[in-house]
Amino acid sequence: MNHFCREASQLQSDAFERQLTLSEHIRLRIHLLICEACRNYADSLKLLNSFFHNLRKQVQQDEGITLPDSDRERIKEALSRTSDSAG
Amino acid sequence: MVQETLLAAWRGRDRFAGKSSVRTWLVGILKHKIIDHIRKEIRDRKLSEAVKSDPTSSLFNADGSWIEAPENWKENPQELCENEQFRHVLQGCIAKLPEKQQIVFRMREISGEDTETVCKEAEITPTHLHVLIHRARLALRTCLEFYWFGGRRS
Repeated sequence: MNHFCREASQLQSDAFERQLTLSEHIRLRIHLLICEACRNYADSLKLLNSFFHNLRKQVQQDEGITLPDSDRERIKEALSRTSDSAG
Repeated sequence: MVQETLLAAWRGRDRFAGKSSVRTWLVGILKHKIIDHIRKEIRDRKLSEAVKSDPTSSLFNADGSWIEAPENWKENPQELCENEQFRHVLQGCIAKLPEKQQIVFRMREISGEDTETVCKEAEITPTHLHVLIHRARLALRTCLEFYWFGGRRS
């Protein structure tokens, strides 16, 4: 019954990134009903998600900006260096 | 390496045809030994990089179940946000992520960029992004459980 945990963890993360398909959604819901470990994982992802949400709000209030152009350039540069690695 | 070569030469002395000098024969064996060694190095490095960038192999059993079940975290996100110490631990955990995961995770969660922007800037597909973010979340959660949530319970 816990063989679905690895897949469930990917679906739980994906749920923050995209709309799950109906079948994915149902499989995940059913699994969460029976698996406490994955429920804990779900709760911790939700906690982190609202933590980052609060953090962003706070930063925006403090600075009124998102990401400085200098950082953007730095990120781009770092990415071009690592683009061939699987990450 | 030289020892291994001489050993291999000794074991294979029957196969020495005598068509070339002993020196050429030994150098030939040595070359093969060096190539084998480099291949092994590359294989080991790729393997350790793969394990580092994909935490699923160290967190799940082969059958897909958790090796160590995630604990229940009882914290208030608003309080956590105001907790300097937690933010410090979190920064440390994010800094431990492999470079690419770290970059996309920071863009997505800290800067709040949307998927499209992150994919464009990182030059990756949405599917690849989802995998990277998923791996980052798994690793981050494990790190926090160890350095924050687990430590406070005990």
